[in-house]
Amino acid sequence: MASVAEMYDVGWEEMRDKLRKWREDNCRNSEQIVDVGEELISEHASKLGDDIWIIYEQVMIAALDCSRDDLALTCLQELRKQFPDSHRVKRLTGMRLEALERYDEANKHYDAILQDDPTNTAARKRKISILKAQGKSTEAIRELNEYLEQFVGDQEAWHELSELYINEHDYGKAAFCLEELMMINPHNHLYCEQYAEVKYTQGGLENLELSRKYFAQALRLNNRNMRALFGLYMSASHIAASPKVSAKVKKDNMKYAAWAATQINRAYKLSWSICTQYSEILKSPLFA
Amino acid sequence: MGEVELSCRAYVKMYLHACLFPRCSINGLLLSSSPTGGAVCVTDCVPLLHSHLPLAPITQLALTQVDVWCSQTQQRIVGYYQANACVSDNSPTPCALKIADKIAEQFDNAVLLMLDGSKMSPDYRVPPIVMYERKDSRWILKDKHTIMLRQWEETRAIASQMMESGDHTLLVDFDSHLDDITKDWTNQKLNTKIEELASPANGNI
Repeated sequence: MASVAEMYDVGWEEMRDKLRKWREDNCRNSEQIVDVGEELISEHASKLGDDIWIIYEQVMIAALDCSRDDLALTCLQELRKQFPDSHRVKRLTGMRLEALERYDEANKHYDAILQDDPTNTAARKRKISILKAQGKSTEAIRELNEYLEQFVGDQEAWHELSELYINEHDYGKAAFCLEELMMINPHNHLYCEQYAEVKYTQGGLENLELSRKYFAQALRLNNRNMRALFGLYMSASHIAASPKVSAKVKKDNMKYAAWAATQINRAYKLSWSICTQYSEILKSPLFA
Repeated sequence: MGEVELSCRAYVKMYLHACLFPRCSINGLLLSSSPTGGAVCVTDCVPLLHSHLPLAPITQLALTQVDVWCSQTQQRIVGYYQANACVSDNSPTPCALKIADKIAEQFDNAVLLMLDGSKMSPDYRVPPIVMYERKDSRWILKDKHTIMLRQWEETRAIASQMMESGDHTLLVDFDSHLDDITKDWTNQKLNTKIEELASPANGNI
């Protein structure tokens, strides 16, 4: 079977840089990370210098995600040898136990870390992940709320909590989490758009108007967000169709909906013309 | 109640959808191009979402767009499928029931299909699906003997083969379409590939 280096015609430095990019962007493309990382470790370990430890960690987590316990254990053993008393490595040991569904043992590891260092956020979050994996949503939500009382600025945690609330159909509380996220990160169009979706789902005239406003805000932050564009169209249309609104509100919302519809049509026309152009280019003799 | 037949194309695309997003809950619509009356033949499916399944706007949008496409292509929406992120739990969620109810308003013999993640390992022999039908405003388990998958072995082989060769990355669901509207949620390319693998020339009937 061809190696990654052969298939993509890349050297070890490019593979290492790719892994770094995926680390920085926090991508969960675990299959790719395993492919690239495994080759890098087995064939170029000596060239990686101190980078190798963070690569072992990254590959180990990706390996767990792909049920590659053999690879995960190899990485873990190297890390244990190098950092025998590290809490960070202990957490990785716990994660492997989680992947093997040995949750009680995993919890023991995390509790040991927390006894030593009660502020260790990583261990606390892993304990919450175990509750989620076991389907104990109510407990996970409760623990996450307690965690956020202490660590108010943790965006990842607020987002996780909003997802848990959405799955429990508790849209009011999901909206609250997204409001916190929008405060921390006012330029993130995705939070605005998700907030708008939650408000739309809650329903009722007031929530629809809020949802329209936040779809519009998401578009201001990123005018290519199609969900926001469709959301604006749908929320404005629903408001205009409501018997409870004044003539002026009806007129305004019909205008917003019409504008959104034009933008949507334009976007689709443009995208399909790009498709046709691209396919025309490919037919030309240059690509024969 | 009535019999339901699940085509190779519908099954393979559902399976690939689940394989493409193994860490998410996914859902989609089941379509039929056969005339009504008699058995329900699920001839195709449209993969919808892999995030925020309970939220309304995108689901409503997708239902509308698929409805329009169906009326243009002589198909109709006859059911709904879902696979939960949590592999050990394949029971229908409230949002699954809600969407299935909506579909049942338009089509009496609508089906609700849950993919059973725990049975999707490479060596599985039985179709990893659980089907529900509507009776007295409730969704009840369908008798397994009324569910037909013609040429199950071939279908299973095609699904595995396509996953091994990475074809699941070609699948476009409505969520992905909204991220990039040049992507085709009717998955014509994938349909063609499935037809090729299922054709008699390949040793399958």
